[in-house]
Amino acid sequence: MRLAALSQLVRLSLARERRGAFFSAFGVAMGVGALVFFVGLGLGVGRVIRERIFPNDARLVDVVPPAVSLGSFLGGGKLDTPMVERLQALPGVETLYRKMSVRAPAASLYNGDFFGRKMRMGMDVLAVGVEPGLVEGDVQLGKFVDPGPGQPLPGLISTRLLEIYNNTFAPARKLPTLTPSLLVGFTLPVDFNRSYVTAPLPNVAVISSQVQVVGASDRALLAGVTIPLDAAIRLNREMGQDAETYSGITLVATSPGAVPGIMAAVREMGLEIDDQERRLAENVGAAVTLTTSALALLSILICVLAAVNIAHALSASVRARAKEIGVMQAVGASRSDVRNIVLAEAGVVGVAGGFLGTISALLLALLIDRLAVSYLPQFPFKPESFFSFPWPVVVGGVLLGLLAAVAGAWFPSHRAAATDPARTLAG
Amino acid sequence: MIRARDIVKQYRDGDGTEVRVLDGLSLDVADGDFVAVVGPSGSGKSTLLHLLGGLDVHYQGDVEVAGVKLSGLKDKELARFRNQHVGFVFQSFHLIPNLSAVENVLMPSHFGAASPEARKRAESLLDRVGLLAKKDRAPVRLSGGERQRVAIARALFTGPRLLLCDEPTGNLDAATGAGVITLFEELNREGITLLAVTHEDRMSSAARRVLRLKEGRLVEETRPALAGGVS
Ligand SMILES: Nc1ncnc2c1ncn2[C@@H]1O[C@H](COP(=O)(O)OP(=O)(O)O)[C@@H](O)[C@H]1O
Ligand SMILES: [Mg+2]
Repeated sequence: MRLAALSQLVRLSLARERRGAFFSAFGVAMGVGALVFFVGLGLGVGRVIRERIFPNDARLVDVVPPAVSLGSFLGGGKLDTPMVERLQALPGVETLYRKMSVRAPAASLYNGDFFGRKMRMGMDVLAVGVEPGLVEGDVQLGKFVDPGPGQPLPGLISTRLLEIYNNTFAPARKLPTLTPSLLVGFTLPVDFNRSYVTAPLPNVAVISSQVQVVGASDRALLAGVTIPLDAAIRLNREMGQDAETYSGITLVATSPGAVPGIMAAVREMGLEIDDQERRLAENVGAAVTLTTSALALLSILICVLAAVNIAHALSASVRARAKEIGVMQAVGASRSDVRNIVLAEAGVVGVAGGFLGTISALLLALLIDRLAVSYLPQFPFKPESFFSFPWPVVVGGVLLGLLAAVAGAWFPSHRAAATDPARTLAG
Repeated sequence: MIRARDIVKQYRDGDGTEVRVLDGLSLDVADGDFVAVVGPSGSGKSTLLHLLGGLDVHYQGDVEVAGVKLSGLKDKELARFRNQHVGFVFQSFHLIPNLSAVENVLMPSHFGAASPEARKRAESLLDRVGLLAKKDRAPVRLSGGERQRVAIARALFTGPRLLLCDEPTGNLDAATGAGVITLFEELNREGITLLAVTHEDRMSSAARRVLRLKEGRLVEETRPALAGGVS
């Protein structure tokens, strides 16, 4: 049977069964729409978790010295230069970045104009030095190197800290919200070896310094300020602290697949891996996946019901059209022609329903995002969109509609094909 | 045109007993003939027609129609045979209600080869049966006689040389029935072979041969009234 003829016959019977076809398509649209909606929600929320709340690069491995070091006897467990060379030589390691904490407390006493408001506030800060390569691209002002004693230190702040500040701290204290570019150039005083909460190092003078914000970075220390590695080394040296061993090393794997091997090798070397964030991200991600999977399953159930509904409607319609089918057989329809007509009919209903459902899901998501912008209060990491609809989800929605309808039509189409024309046409 | 040998067709009754409707029936119809098969209601006339037309395959015996041996044909081949070689005309017309007259005539075109001339052909056939002016009417807006003419046009669409007619005047009053019979006579004069089953005299009197279904077999009816021959 030719495609043009098939489409003509399908159009014919759909025109006749308009009401039934509409309800069948509606059922499919409900199931597909719900599925596309929940999958989009799961992917969208997952994306927010991955990209904004726990933005970690799948290729990064954070190595830290063991909490209880046996290094003193075994010659391992200390992140010194030979160890760094060994790490660099591990298979699968593309490059690495060293980190060193400033090994003294630090405090910032701010007293002055804070973006148009007077502010006087003191607090302890942590400072860590990192190699410029790690934060390359996030530095918006000058070079990320130690400017030397007496000069303001370039500092990066955490994008997440900024997010939390903007959405909880700032509104509560009526402070302005800040963007990274607004903050760039802002200078705050930092005194090393001064603290409001712990005892400073004995017999070490306070180093009064300034930190100039040069950008915000996902890789910056969450509760503190991230400065160039050489500046941290210099400060530690000036204060007579350990300036040789690193407080952490970030390894960059050649590919995410190389990460497990690297992790095993690192542990073998008596070092530890800081994967708190990765695990947290995985746990939250798993919870989101689980929830949306449950909802998706529910939607699939709706699709199954839609298929059952189509099976019912088509069975009735096939029975009602037995004579018509007999006529088609008499003028040359084979059994497979009859079956194809019924299947194609359902296919059209399914694609229409799938399309309708997918479009509805996209529109509903758009509406919710719009409403969230205007009606949901600001909270940290509040995304512009809670949804993500990659094209396979959209195409999959339409295909699922087709699948549900054709599955529902399977039995009725075979029943129609089995119509005995000699019986239906007699009399 | 038709050669049927030793046809046995039985139905299983409601209580499980076998009923032989056709019992060793044989039939020969020459090209261009006009044959009426008569017999009381329930004698198996429709059953015979369906199996000659390839609508029923559950029987014993051999059937050859228009040079095609029907036994052993696959479903698709049988469908093609019905599309190409026979036209059916039924007592209750069996037009598709939501299609216009011309679309009903076009029905066989959906199951055959594509032709850009299809609509033209359908219209010329409607013209042939005198219904061109009503080609866009739905069947409900046509009289019984008109509906049967549309059905005949549909049966002729693919140009079959054989029409199988199942009580074609059964649902028509005498006047319209006579009109349809006249149309059959014209078609027969143009070379189309006709096999019409009926239990009515007015149909059989138009035929050249009349066969009676009796105890599952066909016997030639001799009709003194027509001894002079009709041609
Ligand atoms: N599908 C069927 N199942 C059982 N019996 C049938 C079936 N079709 C026809 N018959 C029986 O076969 C006999 C012949 O039927 P039919 O060919 O329709 O007769 P006619 O057309 O001469 O009136 C009848 O007795 C009828 O009851
Ligand atoms: Mg009958």
